[in-house]
Amino acid sequence: MNETEALTVIVVDDESPARGLVREYLANHPDMRLIAECANGFEAVKAANTHKPDLIILDVQMPKLDGFEVLELLGAETRSVIFTTAYDSYALRAFNVHAVDYLLKPFSAERFAEALTLARTRLRKSEALPTRELLETRREGAALDRLLIRDRSNVHVIPIDQVDFVESQDDYVSIRAAGKNYLKEQAISDLEQQLPANGFVRIHRRFLLNISRLAKIELSEKDSRIAVLLDKTQLPISRAGYAKLRAVLDR
Amino acid sequence: MHPIFTNGKQMALYILGYLPIGAVLVIGFGHAGAWGTAAAFFLPLSVLSGFLGMTAYYVCRAFPISQQYRIWRALPAQATAAVTAGGFSVGMAWAWSAILKSLNLNVQPKMYMDQPWSLFAIGVLLFGLAIAFHYALIASLDSQRSESQVLESSLLVREAELKALRAQLNPHFLFNSLNSVSALTTSDPASARHMCLLLADFLRDTLRLGSAQRISVREEFTVLQRYLAIEQVRLGSRLSVQCAGSDQAMQEKIPALLLQPLVENAVVHGIAHRLEGGTVSIDAECRDSVLIMSIANPTDADRPRSQGSGFGLNLVRQRLQAHYGAAYLFETVDAKGTYRVNIRVPLAAVETTA
Repeated sequence: MNETEALTVIVVDDESPARGLVREYLANHPDMRLIAECANGFEAVKAANTHKPDLIILDVQMPKLDGFEVLELLGAETRSVIFTTAYDSYALRAFNVHAVDYLLKPFSAERFAEALTLARTRLRKSEALPTRELLETRREGAALDRLLIRDRSNVHVIPIDQVDFVESQDDYVSIRAAGKNYLKEQAISDLEQQLPANGFVRIHRRFLLNISRLAKIELSEKDSRIAVLLDKTQLPISRAGYAKLRAVLDR
Repeated sequence: MHPIFTNGKQMALYILGYLPIGAVLVIGFGHAGAWGTAAAFFLPLSVLSGFLGMTAYYVCRAFPISQQYRIWRALPAQATAAVTAGGFSVGMAWAWSAILKSLNLNVQPKMYMDQPWSLFAIGVLLFGLAIAFHYALIASLDSQRSESQVLESSLLVREAELKALRAQLNPHFLFNSLNSVSALTTSDPASARHMCLLLADFLRDTLRLGSAQRISVREEFTVLQRYLAIEQVRLGSRLSVQCAGSDQAMQEKIPALLLQPLVENAVVHGIAHRLEGGTVSIDAECRDSVLIMSIANPTDADRPRSQGSGFGLNLVRQRLQAHYGAAYLFETVDAKGTYRVNIRVPLAAVETTA
């Protein structure tokens, strides 16, 4: 990193006074350059995608996408982040467990400067953020109720009951929902763990099925089976997948 | 004070209860040709012994019987009282017969005065009946009292719990508001001061209004509007408020801060989740004998109703239960992009006569 060049910062908060405060505090730090202010998670993803900032100052509670979801969508692109929150016991626990710095609102200019110092150090060392671990701790084992998919600057929010099935494609999963396919960079086994176990069954190494979409199971030759969905799509069922499917259906 | 004495209706009923006893005596002592005398003698006397019987209340209060104090403990005192009452009865009979004689009504009560031991026995018996009656009365009064005490104390306990819960209710609101104040201090000092004042007023309201207390819908609306004004500083143009109530509804009394958690939900779980924000609508009206209140907000289609709102809903439901028993309706309707909470409670006038 070139030391003489200013660090680029975006601030994300849905409350205008809160953004104003960060803007004011940042003015005391000439090595920081505020390049975008975002009022919600969608704008944040867009701005981060366009500007590739060095630092994101990110509020946890926001409409549509919260701070954690923004972080999830940005993935490895995020170089460093400072979370801000008024009060969120789950978030605080996650921050503390993974030693991620955060600012408790209202915060002083001094405390803000400290957080910037930590961020500078992190950037200099190019330390990776423990994004995945942070998200997992925050989720506390609760199943997802919606999937977030980023398509460059756009974000799609898909409630999980709209998902028909998920197909594994190398490092990605292809999510079939409401007649469309969405690509998401995630391992299928990872997604399987996050989805509710009584709603989604891994019927095959490559397929994760929303069982409410299952119309019937057909026997093809050599006792291998095929899942026929309500929209007539056919998906293969592996032997292990059939056992899991039976276990869920028999319950 | 004798409990029956304070209620004219009960008093009349009690005294009338002695007339059948008098009638039995008339039949027992009267004979052909002297029915008039028997009636003129015994009916008024039975009413008088009714009044005499009321003194049993004080004896019963002084010598209560219960699990710990068995009846034999009260027996000597009651026996003494009954004997005294018997003697008193004979005295009353003597006086009454003298009065009847002096009135020249062509009645000869002298034949009854010839058997004073019978009169004495009747007096003792009637007083014994009065004692039994008063023990039963006291027992029933006590159980009524303890029942209402249990109800009252359970309401107090519940309210105390709710108060404790509400005190820790929303640190998020408080810290966010303080952050707004902190932010506005340099950029817009006048707004910062305004925010401080709003916050102070709102906090004072929540501290002042004991939760067992009832306030008018108008006062409740004032508190809600203060709360919403604070949230408007934070959320800016994203939050708008529509608040309406009929004149009659505005004067009705409801448990203080009943609606506050619902309005908070409407902001935190409704408006705050929408990029474009929306309007929180608060309405109150009276229809028939019911006060109808509703709070509505637009919802975010992408986000399932969050779990967090359940806390506030339960709090309100429990308070309604504590204040109105089963006589309330509480429902939530989530349809067509609007989340609405409807509450119906009886009007205060109806509630007290019920």
